[in-house]
Amino acid sequence: MKHCSTLVSLIGFLAAAVPLGAQATRVDTVEVFVQAIPGLKFDRVRFAIAASTPLRLVFRNVDEQADMDHNLVITRPGAREKIVQAALATTEAENFVPKLPDVLFFTPLLGQGGEFVLRFTSPAAAGAYPYVCTFPGHGFVMYGVMYVGMAMPPIAGDQGIPPTQRGGAAEGGGGPGRGGRPLRPPPPTMPAVSYATTYPAVVRTFLPESGPASIAVGFQGGHSYNFDAGGAYLRYAWTGGFVDNSRHWQGNGNAYADILGTIYYRNQVGFPFRVGSRESTERVEYLGYRLIEDGHPEFQYRVDGAEIRERIRPRAGGGLIRTFHIESSEPLRFLTDPGGGAGFHASTGRTNGGVLELTASQARSFTVTMIPRTGGNR
Amino acid sequence: MKRSTLILLPVLLLTALESVHPQVAPAGRSSSYRVENIPTPEGLVPEAGGVAFLPDGRLVAVFHHGEVMFYDPRSKTWSVFATGLHDPLGVVAISDRELIVAQRPEITRLRDTDGNGRADSFETISDDFGMSGNYSEFTHGPVMDAEGSLYFSLNTASNNGPVRPIIRGAYSPAGRIGRMFSAVSYRGWIMKVTKDGRTIPWASGFRSPNGLTLDRDGNLFVTDNQGDWLGAGKLFHVRPQGFHGHPPSLAWDSTIHTIPLAIPVAVLERMKVKAAVQIPYSILANSPSQPLIDYTGGKFGPFDGQMFVGEMNQKVLMRVMLEEVNHQLQGAVVPFISGDPLRMGGNRLSFAPDGSLWVGHTDHGWAGDKGITRIVWTGEMPMDLHTMRLTSDGFDLTFTRPVDLRVAADPSTYTFSRYHYKDSIDYGSPQHGKARVEVLEARVSPGGNGVILKLAELREGYIYQLNMKGLLGADGTPLANTVAYYTINQLRQPGLAPPVATLER
Repeated sequence: MKHCSTLVSLIGFLAAAVPLGAQATRVDTVEVFVQAIPGLKFDRVRFAIAASTPLRLVFRNVDEQADMDHNLVITRPGAREKIVQAALATTEAENFVPKLPDVLFFTPLLGQGGEFVLRFTSPAAAGAYPYVCTFPGHGFVMYGVMYVGMAMPPIAGDQGIPPTQRGGAAEGGGGPGRGGRPLRPPPPTMPAVSYATTYPAVVRTFLPESGPASIAVGFQGGHSYNFDAGGAYLRYAWTGGFVDNSRHWQGNGNAYADILGTIYYRNQVGFPFRVGSRESTERVEYLGYRLIEDGHPEFQYRVDGAEIRERIRPRAGGGLIRTFHIESSEPLRFLTDPGGGAGFHASTGRTNGGVLELTASQARSFTVTMIPRTGGNR
Repeated sequence: MKRSTLILLPVLLLTALESVHPQVAPAGRSSSYRVENIPTPEGLVPEAGGVAFLPDGRLVAVFHHGEVMFYDPRSKTWSVFATGLHDPLGVVAISDRELIVAQRPEITRLRDTDGNGRADSFETISDDFGMSGNYSEFTHGPVMDAEGSLYFSLNTASNNGPVRPIIRGAYSPAGRIGRMFSAVSYRGWIMKVTKDGRTIPWASGFRSPNGLTLDRDGNLFVTDNQGDWLGAGKLFHVRPQGFHGHPPSLAWDSTIHTIPLAIPVAVLERMKVKAAVQIPYSILANSPSQPLIDYTGGKFGPFDGQMFVGEMNQKVLMRVMLEEVNHQLQGAVVPFISGDPLRMGGNRLSFAPDGSLWVGHTDHGWAGDKGITRIVWTGEMPMDLHTMRLTSDGFDLTFTRPVDLRVAADPSTYTFSRYHYKDSIDYGSPQHGKARVEVLEARVSPGGNGVILKLAELREGYIYQLNMKGLLGADGTPLANTVAYYTINQLRQPGLAPPVATLER
């Protein structure tokens, strides 16, 4: 029902701003805001205006997630699909706007964050005037309608707007009745995690401050960490929640997933193992993971001849317990990062200046416990 | 580029006007095929990235949010095999308990080792390629050949998106240049993974190769999407180590020592493998997706051995008829079924054991739709073009049923126009060199279901668009689809006529 009140307030504003009838001596300029938002959509997909009225249409591209170019083209009634098809044969230099009489007004192509004010007088002839983004491919789904000198039909059955926007949020954009302040894009409707996700949960996604092949692992109680499969190591850990993928899944998948909670540890050494006397790693291979013991992942990777299995579990009282099983013919060193926000405690080996030294035999099975320092490192 | 655009403006306008009337026949005209919706569970966002069938007859579908789901067509129930994958865009079923899935970061073998119905092993088969973190770097595929080798394709990145601060793999400033680019290794390539696990860069020059398939002889096919360096959508017969036209991927070709976009267009033209079939943009389809060959042995109707190709932006499923001319594959593409109740977003295809064609739909932030549909041949023979073959002076058409002799023998029943697209740095291409081509003669073949057309002119490098709106079956049935687009890469030499058009049934 929320959309009804928006609709009422919108009509109310227009009625106030555009005096109609015999007493009108002066016609004020009407201001309308339309934004391109993620998911190939206009936030405002329809509005009504009197005929022959000066209009200031403020078009903004706030498609921050998709970071795509958009324009806004107003066509003669019934010409939207024709213009969309014709635009496919145009070029970027033409703003993808066909030079046809059915095009009444148009903005240039705007990149992310771009704004263009289109000033025109609404047509004298009453009718439903479509507006559409004619960037190739967009126009099939990204359109709306300007009702001139006529009432808007019920939104649920409005054929002039995309079927997906015939629900409540369709008129939820900024503009008249909202003090002209553009609103944020509507809240995402996507879920935060995969369907039927159970915990421990393993979710591969784009995570901030990490490589593009990241793996988020979450446990009951909001204990989580990020294992970056690109480098095959633990990058950071946090408490207070898991991840919210809804922004990532909205639109084209460009956005990072959101970390829910507070990061208390950030890896500062990168891949932590050194094999034999090597000062650095030569070749690290990520091999995959198994789900063991009710879904706990055990990561497998290989470095310079050493085969490593690693399980990372939350520690009661905070932090992580990392269990390693390593097959190696050479001794290993494990670099810790005291500045990363957690203290390290190993079950075996010799600690020497922040470096855990392990014989091949000790490396076969050991744990490293990471306990967050007070306040984390945020 | 701007200069030439301005000069071409009148042509652009002309072609724009001409291309606004899609020639796709409305669907539903045919009672030969039925489209069914497969309901998906409440709470699942069914953006399908892959569909396949397990040996036991269940469907496996992978979805954008990372789910790997099984569907039992007998009990009509879904179960979860795995969750948490990153944008899976393809699946191969090895057994009832083992799958190979393409997801953004890697090709992964998923196994249920303890038999509880859920995957517990996620083995990385190949991650030997770069990721810049750009959203457009999709991983499509895989397909598996008879020897157990896998092929998958790596989408280029889009300049509408970023290169992230942290990337995986090597970075190439030369590959970063371009509208769709290849800043990290093997973007725009098809990769092969041998059975012993080696990943080999297999073929370059792709932009958005959203869909692979293999034929029974091991020929690999891939579609690519119109845009920069693709004047139209394309279906390629992939040439191993060949370059297929989109330059930025050449940044990862060790034989190229220059910035890919600095290579003159004429040189690129000489280098590139031509598409077997071009798909006229917007007239027929916008974003072709997965091809799949009908090996159902007639369970899906009369098109056994032909190829079907999905399409994201329009309600059309395409059919492709290939033939070999001068040792190269080329042929025609037609709308197989189109319009309601077919759904948009046709992204992935798989034939069920019963011969029905299952379609996974997605929109992925673009035009499209969601869900799973199933297309079933009702058993009624459609009245349709079956085969279109090039002859030395025209085309041989074979129909699924006998044609009305009077209409079919009238040359004015057939209208041909020809045009071509130019691949350039610009996004897409207008139709160039568009002209009508006169049909000099139409002769109905002895069986009554073939027509031999003689044309005034045949030209290499052109798409021949055939319209045959008035054609009827012998019983008065109108044609299910009245349009076909034949890409002539090679002319057929006189005296080497194709076999007489007959329809084996």
